Amino acid sequence: MAGLLKKTTGLVGLAVSNNPHERLRILYTKILDSLQTIPQDAAYRKYTEQLVNERFNHVKAEPDVEKLEKKINCGQIEEVILQAEYELRLSRKMSEWKPWEPLIEEPPANQWKWPI
Amino acid sequence: MAASLVRVVRGGLGRSFNIARSSCVLQQQSRLQSSTTDNRPTVRPKDAVTHKQLAAFGEYVAEMMPKYVQQVEVTSYNELEVMIHPDGVIPMLTFLKDHTNAQFKSMIDLTAVDIPTRQNRFEIVYNLLSLRYNSRIRVKTYTDELTPVDSAVPVHMAANWYEREVWDMFGVFFADHPDLRRILTDYGFEGHPFRKDFPLSGYVEVRYDDEVKRVVAEPVELSQEFRKFDLNTPWEVFPAHREPKEAAPKLEAGDAAPEKK
Amino acid sequence: MASTAATRTAAATAKVVKPILSRDLDEAKRRVRELYRAWYREIPNTVTSFQLDISIRQGRDKVREMFDKNKHITDPRVIDILVIKGKMDLQETIHIWKQRTHIMRYFHLTEEPRPTDFLSKFYQGQDP
Repeated sequence: MAGLLKKTTGLVGLAVSNNPHERLRILYTKILDSLQTIPQDAAYRKYTEQLVNERFNHVKAEPDVEKLEKKINCGQIEEVILQAEYELRLSRKMSEWKPWEPLIEEPPANQWKWPI
Repeated sequence: MAASLVRVVRGGLGRSFNIARSSCVLQQQSRLQSSTTDNRPTVRPKDAVTHKQLAAFGEYVAEMMPKYVQQVEVTSYNELEVMIHPDGVIPMLTFLKDHTNAQFKSMIDLTAVDIPTRQNRFEIVYNLLSLRYNSRIRVKTYTDELTPVDSAVPVHMAANWYEREVWDMFGVFFADHPDLRRILTDYGFEGHPFRKDFPLSGYVEVRYDDEVKRVVAEPVELSQEFRKFDLNTPWEVFPAHREPKEAAPKLEAGDAAPEKK
Repeated sequence: MASTAATRTAAATAKVVKPILSRDLDEAKRRVRELYRAWYREIPNTVTSFQLDISIRQGRDKVREMFDKNKHITDPRVIDILVIKGKMDLQETIHIWKQRTHIMRYFHLTEEPRPTDFLSKFYQGQDP
């Protein structure tokens, strides 16, 4: 429906999505899946799950695209899809980097002291 | 009406600011003396909302990546700075780029600072901009002459030339850079000009030599000895903040006067 | 650069350092030999393409001299940095990004040695 009414996103390289709900549902499920590999108490998992669940609930509850865009309030639905794609890629990399571990090395003394 | 209201609020803010920061009192008093008609303080108004927001986001980042973040601070000009371990360059930049709450998609600047007294003398500075949230962040890390830093090119394409520049000017090696070579200096140039130990006059001077029919470079030979220039402005920039000149040490009776040079 | 860095690394030998390219001295030396070989093979091309007024022998001697200048260095990381710089130099020469003047700068043809004894300093008008 949205694809019929909307001709363009007005952004270079970003095509109008024909079925944003389906696409977002797949992406959010994938993100939540990949977050399962991260420990429960990691801040990244906690905040990202919260964020994704919030958006996912909006997607489930709101069939109208324009209203959904307003509810999510983060640009057009195509941009939201793009953000979800990036988040998915990031969450996969995150489980590789494990940034929730304690600090690898303290800075040398006076490294961040300014003026010296 | 509205304008006067704003002024009252401003004045109140300035006053509370005064109480909070006694160091500004001096300056403000002198300003007040100089201008009788306009008695609003000219100190930078404190933007508590932005400051709080930035601090909250800084904490958010630090909580997300405790492995790499060493320190987070918001400067007095409301700039968020995240100090990270050099191993965390790629993860940190990727996180800031791809996370939905950050989206720092464009790299504004990448540069280095040379502080030779430190153990890791180079500070590498990444300035990022999030167009989505209209905010900026500065990521800082450190290295020395021989420790390679991971190249940020896989994350931000814009880093390519910036890293070449840092390599050329400071001699910081970026590992896995696709095309690391000189960018600003001439071919055959030796040394890294932005290092603090690089002499102001350089090492070589060039001239055209008529005998060999080409431009030749020779070790620099100053016709005059290096002079010390007084580069301070003759104007007093912050008269109210002038440090009291150190009084000459008092001579006890019997001490010899210090030699005048 | 090399000397200050070397002292600093000597001070921090206890800390495990991040290698640049080579993990030990043998690997670094291998890279140096590879670079030397590449330069050695490139010299005839350089002489013809830049139309230099030197023989191939002279060019190769100059390469050898420049490698020998750094032969006292034993830190693999310093060697790596020097090899990287040498590779960039070679690249600039092969692609003829340099010009004849840049190549001939290595030979210091026009430089006169600085006077050492009092009288020649006096003749040159330099302060003793």
